[in-house]
Amino acid sequence: MKKNDIILIAVILVMAIAVLLGMRIWQKSSTDGDAVAVVTIDGNVYGQYPLSEDITEKIELPDGSYNILSISDSYASVIEASCPDQICVHHNHIKYQGETIVCLPNKLVVEIHGGEDNGIDGSTY
Amino acid sequence: MKSKRIAFLGLFVALAFVLSYIEFMLPLNIGIPGAKIGIANLAVMVTLYTVGEKNAIALSIIRVVLVGLTFGNISMMMYSLAGAALSLFAMLLARRIGKFSMTGVSVLGGVFHNVGQIIVAMLVLETKSLFYYLPFLIIVGTITGVIIGIVSSLITTRVKKIMTF
Amino acid sequence: MKIKKYLSVIVPLFLFIALITGIVIYRSVSEQGQQIRYTATFLDVFDTRTEIVGFAKNKDEFAKKAQLIKDELIRYNQLYDIYNDYPGINNIKTINDNAGIKPVKVDPEIISLIEFSIDTYYETDGAVNIALGSVLSLWHKERMIGMDDPDRAKLPDYDELKKAACHTNINDIVIDKDNSTVYLSDPDMSLDVGSTGKGYAVQRVLEYAREKGLDNILLSLGGNISCIGTRIDGTCFRLGIQNPDMDSPEQYVEMVDINDGECVVSSGDYQRYYYVDGVRYCHIIDPETLYPADGFASVSIITDDSGLADSYSTALYTMTYEEGLEFVSKRDNVEAMWIMHDGTKKYSEGFIRKYVKK
Repeated sequence: MKKNDIILIAVILVMAIAVLLGMRIWQKSSTDGDAVAVVTIDGNVYGQYPLSEDITEKIELPDGSYNILSISDSYASVIEASCPDQICVHHNHIKYQGETIVCLPNKLVVEIHGGEDNGIDGSTY
Repeated sequence: MKSKRIAFLGLFVALAFVLSYIEFMLPLNIGIPGAKIGIANLAVMVTLYTVGEKNAIALSIIRVVLVGLTFGNISMMMYSLAGAALSLFAMLLARRIGKFSMTGVSVLGGVFHNVGQIIVAMLVLETKSLFYYLPFLIIVGTITGVIIGIVSSLITTRVKKIMTF
Repeated sequence: MKIKKYLSVIVPLFLFIALITGIVIYRSVSEQGQQIRYTATFLDVFDTRTEIVGFAKNKDEFAKKAQLIKDELIRYNQLYDIYNDYPGINNIKTINDNAGIKPVKVDPEIISLIEFSIDTYYETDGAVNIALGSVLSLWHKERMIGMDDPDRAKLPDYDELKKAACHTNINDIVIDKDNSTVYLSDPDMSLDVGSTGKGYAVQRVLEYAREKGLDNILLSLGGNISCIGTRIDGTCFRLGIQNPDMDSPEQYVEMVDINDGECVVSSGDYQRYYYVDGVRYCHIIDPETLYPADGFASVSIITDDSGLADSYSTALYTMTYEEGLEFVSKRDNVEAMWIMHDGTKKYSEGFIRKYVKK
């Protein structure tokens, strides 16, 4: 082995590790932040809430009815609502791409965009 | 002298084929798809340093086609061919520059083999996420490149002792 | 001379570049046929959530497919509605409004639904009865009041239920196919197609979509899920069976893969219900007891007809597990899964073998 070989190997390894570290940092800041809960009311987008930030948001409709959206531990759920059937409140929390929580009386849909996919096309309820 | 070269080349094609088969039987099980020890590069390296560039190119291409037809499929063959081509280019260039020993050349060959494969896989599968494997594959390629470089320089010295081309 | 000197170095590079270029060109040519997965969700049909999953080259092309399905669903929704009038349309409500008064001229699609429902009535030994409207409406009324204001929640008066139950004879539905009319000869009777209408509509809409050449479609109407074909890559559509325990972190109890034309539906006590004195009363009423059935947390059915799937799951929900198992085993292409109140799961023989994926 020549001195040049050792320099070459060192340069390659340093470069690979640098790319690796760079990707790690970039990955951390992007994939978690990728998944967002998109809230629509009667088909119109009301707001988008990244699953990476824990929040509790009261979504109020013009007629005074409301749903309270909660995001914690990367899961979105509706924890309180003014609707009579409370189906949205009873619904399991969601986190995977395409999962939804629907409140029919308030015409509100919480849908996950981006993030992890659970490979499911639909579900019974 | 020509027949000697042809016989040698045939021998090394067979050797490369067997080495590829061994590699096929012993996939490097480190959880990285496509990661290979690259021992077939041994035959390419020795050929390159004994009989020369053109024969190394021929050997490399014949090996990829043979192995692809025997063990793999068209897409596997395309990945290998891209890897082999880029790797050859890197090795030939590095050898011409003359600043590196066989170890350095072999390291470059190993690294660029993996780089070429990943580029083609990314294009064919349309997944950028394969890029994440690249640093690992480069590290793997470097380590195996060093070993193969040392071994092939040992072989080359001995081959040169008993044969002239 | 110079080029020739470097020729052997350039050849591999050239080979590599040629390979890459070839792949890129091939990609861009075949990309024109690339199909992307789209989902459409709307909330304005059948009082529930509708979801369409499909594949198309672009958003507009998918929107066209989805609209074709939606338009049909809207048509059936209007025809099978028991609560609302629509200008110029005689629907089930019109039939109910004219009970004991006069036959109502209706769309042939209504007659075929009613005939289908009558067949189902006999097939399920009366567990699915569309003539049960008078009983169901008493429960519906109390459930609405109870959900709105739990302090006022109460059960319907049993005598009233008993009285209403006298007006649920399926033979009082008089169908005149020649004149395309339906008449309820008992003035106190009313039709409620809640257990058959949605599923039957899905079945008809998918048949229509098939005729129009649509493929690779998944249609979910309020949890009644059917498909045409497979996903675009040829793999089966994969569905989750809702966990009846809504507090559980696991949203699905099982994943199932369904084939072309198959349908999955669950009936359960976990979504539409209300509490009276701490007891949960769900929306599925057993025609025998006139009270909500409560044998299971949920029953799921997989079969090759969406209309039947809906009524079978309702029927099985009102049966015991043993009765249900016998019902299922007597029929081809019907598999079921029961979830007990304690979370235990029971399956018909082929359910796991044919459908469940881990």
